[in-house]
Amino acid sequence: MQNAKDTFYMMLQSRLATLNPARTIVVRGVVRPGTLVDENELPSAWVPVDVFRLRWTGLQVNNTGPLPLVAMECSIQYATDGSSGNGGMDRGRLLAAMDAELAAALGAKPHTVGKMNYSAAGAGVAATPMGTNVFWADPVFGAAKAVEERLERTTTVQVFAYQEAGEL
Amino acid sequence: MSTTTTGAGVEASVAPVTRRVRAYFAPVNRSAGVPTLFDAAQLGRFDLHAPPAPWVDLGWVSGFTRKCGTKVDALRAGSPAMTVGQVRTEVEATVSLAFETWGKLQVTLASGSQQTNLLTTTAGAAPNGSGGVATAPVPLLTSTGPASTATSLNVGTAAAAGFSVGSLVAVDVDYTGQLGYVGTGVSSAYVQSAGAVGGDVNYVRRVTLNVGVVVAITAGVLELASALPAGGPTAGMQVSQLVGFCDREGASFFQEWSGLFVMSGVQGDRVLVHYPRLQAMQGSTETEEALAAPLERIRLAGAFRALPVKDANDGETVLCFRSYLPAVLRGV
Repeated sequence: MQNAKDTFYMMLQSRLATLNPARTIVVRGVVRPGTLVDENELPSAWVPVDVFRLRWTGLQVNNTGPLPLVAMECSIQYATDGSSGNGGMDRGRLLAAMDAELAAALGAKPHTVGKMNYSAAGAGVAATPMGTNVFWADPVFGAAKAVEERLERTTTVQVFAYQEAGEL
Repeated sequence: MSTTTTGAGVEASVAPVTRRVRAYFAPVNRSAGVPTLFDAAQLGRFDLHAPPAPWVDLGWVSGFTRKCGTKVDALRAGSPAMTVGQVRTEVEATVSLAFETWGKLQVTLASGSQQTNLLTTTAGAAPNGSGGVATAPVPLLTSTGPASTATSLNVGTAAAAGFSVGSLVAVDVDYTGQLGYVGTGVSSAYVQSAGAVGGDVNYVRRVTLNVGVVVAITAGVLELASALPAGGPTAGMQVSQLVGFCDREGASFFQEWSGLFVMSGVQGDRVLVHYPRLQAMQGSTETEEALAAPLERIRLAGAFRALPVKDANDGETVLCFRSYLPAVLRGV
């Protein structure tokens, strides 16, 4: 399952970065594309804005087929305060831009990506291709919420993958 | 967690998972009774957005439902009668779907009969349900300027002034008394007598599927958004402007087409369903999808009955072909 989660995250990060390379975040002093997975970062009460934060919130496993079919719910949270230059009055536009980027990234074809094993990947070591594809349904956009001057939204997407032989 | 493998490096075969069904059209030569056959062995992996000629993309369809009407009865013998075998007493297959796109082809196929182009009418023309008397067609120039092609129509600067970007055009031959199937590229209607169509010089253009949209006009040449289905115009073809399309409940013609439906699996597998001969089994109808009150999205609903062809491999008479192309390195 972790391979499917990693693969989906890398796919989404790559597609979003291609759509808007200027959307970045500084994490522990390093500038990264503006997509991160909460559970992979240091716990913090700070809510980063103008980036996409992934949380894995649901899990189902269907064992009826020859390969277990894993369905995972990915919640993608994003928020914006607007830009200071505009006094925050553009927060609706900035949220709409993030909506559009996320819709385009998840709606782009193909709606599948080859599953990769990132467990041994690192500097100079590439991820290992696996035998099946990760695929996903259409995203479901939640209602926009206004928290004081901040606008935020949570979008969920069902991500599916087959658990391959020997895969944990 | 238990898993199953079928061999080193080979994953177990799983049921295809697909998002949607893509539909493709190819003409049936009605005069010769010859459909377009799709060979999945040669072309099964084609790019869904670029089907091999002469297949034409009809776009995504929803509610794709295949029904087998074949009846299998028991063959009994003896006393008391016991089943000693089985026989097929009827063979039938139908398919129903809703088109996501309202194009000329989709509207025509869903209507199931001849589908008329609403040609622009002459001033004061008497009202008629499928369009009144049409304006005079515009000839394609052959001696002045560039030759017309499937995507550009040389009508000359004077005639081009009568068109504008966005104009819809029908390109086909004049009706000069032809009987039988008419329509270039695709048989669009069947003329039983010249009198039945009133000797209308525009009749073929009125029913043709050879239509396009003008996206630019340059030095008397109409540039089209996409290639005309019948290819480059031939001698004698003229251009008529139209404003839309019309079909009728109760018309006599049965539209027939070769259909291909592709379900592309998320693991790289693919299911192709090919009906060499399909005819509509219902009149024009629509399905409504509620968006948010009072908005509804209207889809073209079609239901088709398959007609038989002979498989050249063994001479069997069949209605459809379902092909399955497994993903790479899957058990079979």
